[in-house]
Amino acid sequence: MFLTRSEYDRGVNTFSPEGRLFQVEYAIEAIKLGSTAVGIKTAEGLILGVEKRVTSSLLEPSSIEKIFEIDAHIGCAMSGLTADSRTIVDHARVEAQNHAFTYNESIKVESVTQAVCDLALRFGESARGEESIMSRPFGVSLLIAGIDETGPQLFHTDPSGTFVSYSAKAIGSGSEGAETELQEEYHTSMTLIEAETLALKVLKQVMEEKLNSTNVQLASVTKDGGFQIYSAEKLQQVVERL
Amino acid sequence: MDTLVSKYANSASSASFDDADNLGQNMAGWDAASQFALPAFDIPMVANPVDFLRAHTDASAENRIRIQHGTTTLAFKFQGGIIVAVDSRASGGSYIGTVSLSISFTTSQTVKKVIEINPYLLGTMAGGAADCQYWERELGRRCRLYELRNKERISVAAASKILSNMVYDYKGMGLSMGTMITGWDKSGPQLFYVDSDGTRMRGERFSVGSGSTFAYGVLDTGYDFNLSIPDALELGRRAIYHATHRDAYSGGSVNVFHVKETGWVFHGNFDVNDLHWEYQAQPKGPIV
Amino acid sequence: MFSTYPGQVVVDHPVKVPIEHRFDPYVDNGGTLLSIAGEDFCVVAADTRLSEGYSINSRYVPKSVKLSDKTVISMGGCYADCLTLTKKIQQSMEWYHHAHGKTMSTAAVAQMLSIMLYQKRFFPFYSWCILGGLDEEGKGAVYTYDPVGSYERESCRCAGSASSLIQPFLDNQIGFKNQASQKKTLSLDQVLRITKDSFTSATERDIYTGDYLELFVITSKGVEVQKMDLKKD
Repeated sequence: MFLTRSEYDRGVNTFSPEGRLFQVEYAIEAIKLGSTAVGIKTAEGLILGVEKRVTSSLLEPSSIEKIFEIDAHIGCAMSGLTADSRTIVDHARVEAQNHAFTYNESIKVESVTQAVCDLALRFGESARGEESIMSRPFGVSLLIAGIDETGPQLFHTDPSGTFVSYSAKAIGSGSEGAETELQEEYHTSMTLIEAETLALKVLKQVMEEKLNSTNVQLASVTKDGGFQIYSAEKLQQVVERL
Repeated sequence: MDTLVSKYANSASSASFDDADNLGQNMAGWDAASQFALPAFDIPMVANPVDFLRAHTDASAENRIRIQHGTTTLAFKFQGGIIVAVDSRASGGSYIGTVSLSISFTTSQTVKKVIEINPYLLGTMAGGAADCQYWERELGRRCRLYELRNKERISVAAASKILSNMVYDYKGMGLSMGTMITGWDKSGPQLFYVDSDGTRMRGERFSVGSGSTFAYGVLDTGYDFNLSIPDALELGRRAIYHATHRDAYSGGSVNVFHVKETGWVFHGNFDVNDLHWEYQAQPKGPIV
Repeated sequence: MFSTYPGQVVVDHPVKVPIEHRFDPYVDNGGTLLSIAGEDFCVVAADTRLSEGYSINSRYVPKSVKLSDKTVISMGGCYADCLTLTKKIQQSMEWYHHAHGKTMSTAAVAQMLSIMLYQKRFFPFYSWCILGGLDEEGKGAVYTYDPVGSYERESCRCAGSASSLIQPFLDNQIGFKNQASQKKTLSLDQVLRITKDSFTSATERDIYTGDYLELFVITSKGVEVQKMDLKKD
């Protein structure tokens, strides 16, 4: 199978005869190597959880950053190439601030997601003179969580620039196992506290290392508190609940 | 001047009318927020755009473009933080184009001359109202992005430097802005003066605007670093009141703000007419 | 003609320098507009005369445009600039609708208009704008602008050729400035009466105001347009 691909997977913007863009598909594959991240939507707000791969005892876990603030009311968790995520997250932040600047209101979660996805296909040669920013597709997938006037929103984006809304979603290497678990455990009347626990429970199942308060990160988006990354103490409390 | 034009012109409409790509340019910006993503301005296609603007905003222009101007603002540091006080008059008006009625008159008594850049930064407004509003809004956006990228608030020194660098790019183009940027950061209360010439100064005590000389007189007389908070608020209010009394371009009411460690607090709007009679009724102290 | 040193360019005819004629793109088309915000309504009114110098070009050119069920823009000044600016606003609102799946709020239009005007800081739109509508709480809102985009929210404002006749009257009747009596909220009926009186009176004294008065009444039910005759002299 890989032999037939080899002809058509070199150019980033060349379709194969079967109508596939292999480079984009490979980028989606790259996410499956990444660390696991989960997002859960409840009526009270959203929870984002990520595993940190602490590959060495000499590594400072606090320096691994996989959850980002986009604006006071929106945050995101990433899986895939961390370096690529920085470009995308910065674009999302700029887009959110431009919206606030122009319209004096905070941007909708879907609009930020759309803006991120607009960026996803700006690789290779560009058609209409807009600057192409990358020579290959982004190897990063995001879970964008936020609250706007339409309520809590959770979106998943992938390197092809597709975005879909979810009640709960997992990405990364453990996503298959995590999603099975989420499907079993998730219900629409879930509280934020239950979602916190579920997020860690799911991560615990799929992580290779033993889960503790240094190798995971949690964040919440609520109506009153906005986006907040959990402090070490707060995270410890959730870990102890497991 | 061509270099000026090419530097600042972004507009399809004025720079290249028949450019075939005109409509395409809008496709990249699927909404106005992307269109306004960076400060870029339409420039008239004339030999000297600066003269063009000057000719049309000049008092002698036939159809004069009246840009709102004039004010008194002050800010000073004291033991309890920073007091910011401003008047509320903006004169010049929207376009008063008619011949028979073209007199200098006050168009607004309610202009907010303190711009809340964010909960921790205040900017005052003297000179062109739009210049101050726009650039301090732009500053607000950049400060917020700084905060998101660096996970800490920008210092007042850095914020004021961004503002002064931005407007310095347009030096000689006719911007008019005299502002004080105040706030509280890691190193305590901070006060900077920034203007459209590119001046940026750190200081203890500033007054800016057409009535500033009058305000300075009162401010310098009553100033003491160890003033209590109510006394400091009163000093700011009184200095602005005296400026409105003697400067025709200042008036309306006084707005007072107090910058504290936890952010700024609004301390009320006072009609200068009420203040006038209140101060008249008070017994006068000894001169010396 | 002869050269005084080798290589000197010899010009034996007068140099033709391009003559720059003054670029004067602005014309004042006169007219008056005003807007008053009430508790749960907003009135935007403007006369419809379009004049240039001492000629009246048209008796019915509306200055106000309904932008949405909650927002009306009114502009005076150079009619050409006003048309362009109105179209720019409408286009951006359309884009916004497609991009964000909602109608732009009055406050959002207000902020966007300020930036649009400032984008022409060095080549200003010769227009004075008043934006009237309802805010997110359903309260009346009036936003007023200077030519380059300085803006603020007020309770009432008049702009245009008769603004200096009408504004002091509004300050007195709507803002209760320098009145001992307590401020009170005005009903829609009272506001319409004050508006109509303002325009009939201004028509008597301002040559650029007259013909018809077009009133936009913005309430939670939508925008209702009324037309009234003014003197046509």
